[in-house]
Amino acid sequence: MFLNYLKSALRNITKNKFYSFLNILGLAIGIAAFIFIFLYVRNEISFDKYHEKADRIYRVESDFTISGKHDQFAIVPVPMGPALKLEFPEVEEMCRFNDVGNSLFKYGDKEFYEDGFYFVDSTIFDIFTHKVLVGDPKSCLVEPYSVVITESIAMKFFGDQNPMGEIMESGSGRKYKVTAIMEDVPINSHLKFDALLSGSTIAAIQGGDAFNSMEPVRFWNIGVYTFLLLNQNADMQSVHQKFGGFYDKYMKPVGDAINASFDLMSTPLTNTHFSGNISSDLPKGNMAYIYIFSAVALFILLIAAINYMNMATARSAKRAREVGIRKVAGAFKKQLIGQFLSESLVLALIGFAIALLLVFLLLPDFNNLAGKTLEFDLFRKPELFFTILGVTVFIGLISGSYPAFYLSSFLPVTVLKGGSGDKGRKGGMLRKVLVIFQFAIAIIMIMGTLIVYNQLTFLKNKDMGFNKDNMIILELQDSAFRSKVETFKKELVKNSNILAATNSTGIPGDNSWIQVVKMEKDTAMVDNAMLLTLVDYDYLDTYGLELVEGRTFDREMGTDLEEAVIVNETTVKYYNWTDNPIGKKIHWGFEMDGSGGRILKVIGVVKDYHFNSLHNKVEPIMLFMADFDKYYVSLKVNPENIGSTLQYIEEKWNEFGAKRPFNYRMLEDTWGEMYESEQKLGVIFTISTILTIFIALLGLLGLSSFVAEQKTKEIGIRKVMGATLGNVLALLYKEFVLLVIIAFIIAIPLAYWQLDNWLQTSFVYHTNISILTILLSGVLAIIISMVTISFHTLKAGMSNPVDAIKYE
Amino acid sequence: MIKTVNLTKVFRTDEVETTALNQVSFEVKEGEFVAVMGPSGCGKSTLLNILGLLDNPTDGDYYFLGNEVSGFSEKQRASLRKHNIGFVFQNFNLIDELNVFENVELPLIYLGYKASERREKVEAALEQMQIIHRKKHFPLQLSGGQQQRVAVARAVVANPKLILADEPTGNLDSAHGEEVMNLLEQLNKNGTTIIMVTHSQRDAEYSHRIVRLFDGQIVTENIKEQFAL
Ligand SMILES: Nc1ncnc2c1ncn2[C@@H]1O[C@H](COP(=O)(O)OP(=O)(O)OP(=O)(O)O)[C@@H](O)[C@H]1O
Ligand SMILES: [Mg+2]
Repeated sequence: MFLNYLKSALRNITKNKFYSFLNILGLAIGIAAFIFIFLYVRNEISFDKYHEKADRIYRVESDFTISGKHDQFAIVPVPMGPALKLEFPEVEEMCRFNDVGNSLFKYGDKEFYEDGFYFVDSTIFDIFTHKVLVGDPKSCLVEPYSVVITESIAMKFFGDQNPMGEIMESGSGRKYKVTAIMEDVPINSHLKFDALLSGSTIAAIQGGDAFNSMEPVRFWNIGVYTFLLLNQNADMQSVHQKFGGFYDKYMKPVGDAINASFDLMSTPLTNTHFSGNISSDLPKGNMAYIYIFSAVALFILLIAAINYMNMATARSAKRAREVGIRKVAGAFKKQLIGQFLSESLVLALIGFAIALLLVFLLLPDFNNLAGKTLEFDLFRKPELFFTILGVTVFIGLISGSYPAFYLSSFLPVTVLKGGSGDKGRKGGMLRKVLVIFQFAIAIIMIMGTLIVYNQLTFLKNKDMGFNKDNMIILELQDSAFRSKVETFKKELVKNSNILAATNSTGIPGDNSWIQVVKMEKDTAMVDNAMLLTLVDYDYLDTYGLELVEGRTFDREMGTDLEEAVIVNETTVKYYNWTDNPIGKKIHWGFEMDGSGGRILKVIGVVKDYHFNSLHNKVEPIMLFMADFDKYYVSLKVNPENIGSTLQYIEEKWNEFGAKRPFNYRMLEDTWGEMYESEQKLGVIFTISTILTIFIALLGLLGLSSFVAEQKTKEIGIRKVMGATLGNVLALLYKEFVLLVIIAFIIAIPLAYWQLDNWLQTSFVYHTNISILTILLSGVLAIIISMVTISFHTLKAGMSNPVDAIKYE
Repeated sequence: MIKTVNLTKVFRTDEVETTALNQVSFEVKEGEFVAVMGPSGCGKSTLLNILGLLDNPTDGDYYFLGNEVSGFSEKQRASLRKHNIGFVFQNFNLIDELNVFENVELPLIYLGYKASERREKVEAALEQMQIIHRKKHFPLQLSGGQQQRVAVARAVVANPKLILADEPTGNLDSAHGEEVMNLLEQLNKNGTTIIMVTHSQRDAEYSHRIVRLFDGQIVTENIKEQFAL
């Protein structure tokens, strides 16, 4: 019986090559897109789950409240971890990760800048599951100046040589001994490191007492990622409940003095990848995007399934005779249903096979695009294979079920009499609803793509309030070099292609120095956490910051170096200085008891500039000068001759005896990276949209071919009655265009609601959804659907009426 | 009204060349009722299609209402056709998706009549064809004879000067066939010119004269009138 079904299914598929081709192509693309998104989503939601003790690991986080203002950080004070372990029996173990930052490491003649090195506690391997290949995980990070490297770092620095026991030297001349080699950190880890330095090294450098001190003041400096391993059956909630007592014991004295308080927050390790937006966090996934992509995958599949349903029912007029004859010949309804279901199943399975091939071929490109290194481990993980197969069978069944039940319920009498069997207009109605559904989705996706790109253009073109272009950034990791920076700058600007140079502790996009200062408010001086950047005389000019009030730093004014500060407009608004901000006082750098430090006076106000990405609001910031080592040199250069300019900078760099190899970046690139996830969303959205539309159009192509075929006779008759080509085409197009227009009308509110929500929640600064964009997406959908149906419609419209009316 | 001179139609399909009409010359005067007869495949329908401006001849001249139309474009032919000619076919050629009223209304729509005028004319035609009680029905719900009456109603609704009927009774039993023939005769009496293709000698009796075709050529023109007069 089954073989019979199969045979007749194959016969029908090969007989109607055009429709089978459209269906299989649609299904193959649909399933392939589904697999890609499935792999992506599976990877995203698997973050950090591979650790054996994952369900007992928590990351602790900081919630500082200073003068009523909350500031949340993914990092906590250095002594927090050990103190929590000491005080709470729930905590079995803790481990801290202290980011080394971008620094130079050397072995022999090989030297590289590395930014994936962390100082960690030796407990790391007791908490996390990482495979140590060579060396002892218990002891490898106990001694100061030990380093555990991953396989990639081993390859990079040591090649074929055995790294164990070898010495890697840091840029500042510290020598670390390789004590173990471990597997690379899996891609689905939120904290990806390349090498681990023993935390005891810091104690050795600072002195053990200073490093391990639990003085209250040490709890008011944030610093390290800290993870807790809880005891079996212990509950993080009870730690939070008892934290008040901990605060009183360790932190209260200083908190009261500076009018601040602190609360501990925590995130289960397995949620860290999707946790909320807090400062100093590592790159994260976005749960909203996971939902969007999953929905898109389902929609693409659904649209492919709808294609089958539509074409199958549209073809029913032709199949009706077959059904009638089969029924007369004694076939049961059940057998007919089996027959139609096996047909759709066979199509789906062929689509499935092609989809697997597509995924294997396109996976590298997809990885490139998504910034992942996903594997299509179909055979090593049978559950993956069976999931996809299950989805395929499901799609085959649902897409086959409607036509199966619909066709098999035709009454043989009506059908054989010559009627189409589709008299109830029910099939036609459902077909229309399905087409409307397909196009509503397609239009929503077109709108989505346009809006995402509008927003990306907005991000790119928004006036940031500072020079972003043609800025070269140098990082001075070497303190000896930093002391020579003034002469270095002077040397550089001698080159006519270097237009300006400035030395500062922060730059737009990298500005994380927050400190509690006393701000003049009404008549009092109030404590407040404030963003600050130490600059030099040339900062405002180099970055093109615009003064709205007062003056800039002036070399002629001897006092500027000591007591001048420039703030932004937001600061003025925030502290209610609007009547006259000039001369307002800020007390910076005081001791815990409020003594010492410097009183700065506002000499100017700069127009607000976006020193953070447009996801964030502009906050108060203060710029002032102090005799303090400053890490960044920013150079404004002529966009022409960049190559020779860089060569010149490098020469000077070496001439000045920098102990690090020359290294630079362009500020634009840093800013580009801030919108990487939106950029990626844009690309993936575009591709999904193109696929969705393509599959929907395949369906439309098939459907229009049926309609054209069905209507040949009608067209002929109408022409005989005097219809012109225009009349006839209008008739044929109207049918589909009307559906697309209805779909468009349905799509508008849904798309608007979703996209507006995305813009509002993701960006403080965003474009607005314009009517033009909405109309454009509708017009686009109508045009491409018109073009698609034209293939068959034009042919039908231009056919000779004599041929149409001649035969039944 | 109609005059053809050496009208020739050749069909070329791949290698095969069929001469469906071979130098046909004849004339139909206003108010005439002409029957065209001949064996299957002799070119009757081809002739009717050309006379009905649905197709162009390969060679020869065709004068319709005094215009030489053999070189007309599709557009010109369509315009001439919808104003002057009504068609009745053997297989009715009604549109299944439209009801009786809408089917009959079609020619008026393409002639640009207003809705109220259309309603009036369609109802009059349906009345005349005694099918008005079925105006909401769809073609598949009607008998063959009823369908053909609808087709005739559609052919006459715009008041054409000429009606071309290709085997109008071919799919009908004799009783229904007679009904249709009576309708055509009535129309002719009211001044409409009719050219009808038929295989039935009895139907041909209704006409004034019979044109016999054989292999694309006219073999005899039996002018009944001559004897009748
Ligand atoms: N579109 C066409 N292409 C090729 N040959 C055609 C075409 N239409 C008609 N013919 C041929 O022209 C000849 C005349 O056909 P026509 O339909 O005029 O015959 P007929 O006299 O109406 O026959 P019947 O009585 O069977 O309707 C036939 O040999 C037919 O095969
Ligand atoms: Mg014929």
